[in-house]
Amino acid sequence: MNWQIHLPALALAVPLLGAFVSPVAGLGGRLTRNAWMVLVSMATTAICILLWQRVIAGGTVVYVMGAEAWNITLPSGLSWPIRIILEVDAFSAFMVVVGSIAALAGAFFSLRFMDKFTGLEKFSALFFLLVTGMLGMQLTGDLFNFFVFLEIASVASFGLIAFWRDRPEAVEASFKYMVVSTISAMFVLIAVGFFYGRYNAVNIAAVARMLHMGYAEKIALVFIVVSLAMKCGAVPMHMWTPDAYAEAPAGVTCLLVAVSQASLYGLFRVCFSLYGASLGSTVVPWTIIVMGVLSMFIGVTMAVIQKEMKRLMAYHSVSQIGYILMALGVGLLSLKDPQAMADYGFTAMKGGIFHIINYTMYKGLLFLTAGAVFYSAGTRNLNELGGLARVMPLTTFMFAIAAAAIAGLPPFNGFVSKLLIYQSTFAVYPLLAVAALVTSVLTLASFVKVFQTAFLGPAKKTFEKVTEVPASMLLGMSVLTIVIVALTLFPGWTLSHLVEPAAKALVDQAGYISAVMGGGL
Amino acid sequence: MWGKVYSGFGYWDVYFWLLFFVIAAGMILFIRALGRSDYKEGTEQDEIFYGSNEVPEDGADMGVPAASAYWGFVEALRPYYDWLVELHTGIASDYVGYFVLTVAAVAVLVLL
Amino acid sequence: MTGNAPFLVVGIIFFLGMYAILFERNLIKIAIGITLLEASANLLLIVLGYRTGGSIPIYTLAGGTRTMVLPTPQALTLTAIVIGLATSALLLSLIILLYRHYGTLDVREIRRLRG
Repeated sequence: MNWQIHLPALALAVPLLGAFVSPVAGLGGRLTRNAWMVLVSMATTAICILLWQRVIAGGTVVYVMGAEAWNITLPSGLSWPIRIILEVDAFSAFMVVVGSIAALAGAFFSLRFMDKFTGLEKFSALFFLLVTGMLGMQLTGDLFNFFVFLEIASVASFGLIAFWRDRPEAVEASFKYMVVSTISAMFVLIAVGFFYGRYNAVNIAAVARMLHMGYAEKIALVFIVVSLAMKCGAVPMHMWTPDAYAEAPAGVTCLLVAVSQASLYGLFRVCFSLYGASLGSTVVPWTIIVMGVLSMFIGVTMAVIQKEMKRLMAYHSVSQIGYILMALGVGLLSLKDPQAMADYGFTAMKGGIFHIINYTMYKGLLFLTAGAVFYSAGTRNLNELGGLARVMPLTTFMFAIAAAAIAGLPPFNGFVSKLLIYQSTFAVYPLLAVAALVTSVLTLASFVKVFQTAFLGPAKKTFEKVTEVPASMLLGMSVLTIVIVALTLFPGWTLSHLVEPAAKALVDQAGYISAVMGGGL
Repeated sequence: MWGKVYSGFGYWDVYFWLLFFVIAAGMILFIRALGRSDYKEGTEQDEIFYGSNEVPEDGADMGVPAASAYWGFVEALRPYYDWLVELHTGIASDYVGYFVLTVAAVAVLVLL
Repeated sequence: MTGNAPFLVVGIIFFLGMYAILFERNLIKIAIGITLLEASANLLLIVLGYRTGGSIPIYTLAGGTRTMVLPTPQALTLTAIVIGLATSALLLSLIILLYRHYGTLDVREIRRLRG
C-alpha cells in the first residue's frame, strides 16, 4: 500500500521518463530502442490498471504534488488548496485505462511500421510525450495544469503528424491542425484566466465550491466547451480531423483517437464537476446535443464519398464523437431533475461512457488495419486496392470485427452502447434517436464499401507480392481485438464494474469537491 | 450473468445472439454442402459468370472502383452534397473562421 | 476607467490577433497573429494579479508596504509564455517546410487536402 499511493504521479512520470530516455536508448541501435518502447508502454498500462483498481476499491484518490505527504490537500488549516493536486475519480481512472491500452497497441504497431524512416528515437520520444500529455489531462484536478498538459499533448501531436516531412500533405495537415489547436488553447487559457480572476483559485474542486454564475463564468463556459469540442472533432470545427488522422502514421493515429477522448474528458469534467448544479439554463446541454447530432450526420455523409481509406475512417471518427456528445449531453440535460436522471439520463450517460471505450478500441483497430494495408500494399486509395483478403487473412479478420463493431451489428459491443443511447435519447426527443439510427445505417454502408473494395474482390496483378504484415504489427492489432471481443462477450460485467462507477462519479459533484476540500483522505 | 444488460426499456443478452449466429451458420453451411462436387476443374465449368462476357485476365479490369460506389445515393442528395463538399474548403483560415463563428453563436445563445 | 485600461488593451490585442489570423493570406502573418493572440492571453493573466498599490511579491524585498501583487499569475504566465515559444518555433519550422514543398506562402493555395 505504501508505494501504491504514488500511482497517479507514477502514471505521469513513467511515460515522461520514457520520452526523455528514448534518444539515449536509440544510441544502442534498433533493438534497444524497440525494447525501451515496449517496456515503457507495458509499464504505463500496468500502472493505469493498478490505479483503476485502487480507485474502484477505495474511492476517489488525490495526490498532492510537492507536499509533505500525499494527501495534505489543505495544509495547516488553510481553507483553499494551494498545490497542484491530481484527483482521480472513477471516470478519470476509466479514461486512463482506455488511453493506455490504445497507447500500448499503437506502440506495438509502430515498432515495425516506421521501418523505412530514420530518427525513430525522436518518434519514440514524441510518442511518449503524447502519452504523458493525454494521461496528464485525464488525471489532473487543476485547470491550469489541464491547459499545460493539453498543450504538451498538442505540440507532441503536431510533431508526430508531420513526421513524414517528405510528404507535403503531412506537413500541410499538421500546419492546419496547429493553427486551429493553438487558437483554441488560447481560448482555454483565457477561460482559466477568467476563473482565476474571479475566484483566486485554479483548482477545479475549489472553484466548483465557490462558483456562482455571472457573465464571466458564462463566457468561460462557452470558451471551454467550444474549444474542447473542437479538439474532439465536433462539427463545425471538425475539418482538421480528416487531414490530421489520415496523414499521421497509423500507430500515431491510434493514439490521437485516445487523445481526443482526453479532451472529451476535460469537456465533461468542466460541465459536470465544475459547473454541475449551477449550469444555469439548458442552453449548454442542448448546444452539446445539437453539435452531437450534426457531427453524427455530417461526419457519416462525408465519409460515404471518400476515396482514401484513412480519411474515410477519420470522418467516421467525427460521427462517433457525435454519439458520445449527444449521449452525455442528454445526461447533462437531466442533471438537475432526479426523476429524469433515473428515467433516461443515467442510461444515456452509461451508454455514452461505454461508447467511449468501444469507440477507442474499434476505431484504433480500424486505423491500425488501414496502416497495415498501407504498409503491405503501398497505397491508401480505395480505387486502386482490391482482393487483399487472400494474402492478408488476419488483417481482414480483424478489420471485419472492427467494422462490424463500429456499424453497431449485434452481437458486438458497438450495438450495446448504441442500444443504450437510442433508447435513452428517444425519451428526450425522438428525432435524436432517428438521427442516430440513420447514422448507424450509413456507417454500415461505408464500411461495406471499404471492406468490399479493399479486401474482397478479384486479385489484382499489382498486388501479387503482397504478404501479411510482420508479427509485431499483428500483436498491436490483436491487443485491441482481444479487448473488443472481451467487451462483446461480457457487457454486463463491463457495464457494472467499468462504466457505472464512472457515470456515478461524473454525476456526483459533491463527492468530487469533498475529496479535495475535505482535507484529503 | 455477465452477458445480460438491462437498458431502460428492455434487455440485451449477448449469449442468445451468439447462439443464434451459431445456428444460422450451421444452416448456411448445410445448404452450402448440398452443392455438387463432381465438376471438372480448369474447364469452363470452373469460371465465374461475368454476364456472358469474356472473363478478363487481370482482376483490376473486373472490379468496380470505389469512387462509383453508392452513386445513386449521392446523386439523389446532389444539392446537399454539393453544398457540403464546398464547405470543406481546405483553407486553414476557414477552419479558424468556423471555430470563431461557433464561439460567437454559442456565446450569444448562452448570454441571452 | 483608467483602472480598466489594461483590460481594454488586452481586448484590442486579441482582436488584432484574430483579424490577422482570419483575414491575412500570408502564412507568416497568420503566425504573427497567433503570437499576438498568445500575448493577449498572457497579458490578461498578469493584469488579473494586480492589486492597487501593491509591490513586488518577494517577501524580503518588499520593504514596508503591506500589499503585494499576486505571484501565482506571474508563474502561470511564465509557463504560458514558454508554451507559446514552443508552438511558435514549431509553427515557423512547419511554414519553412511548407514553403519548400508548395513553393508558395498563400494560405488559399495550400489546400491539397480538401473535400
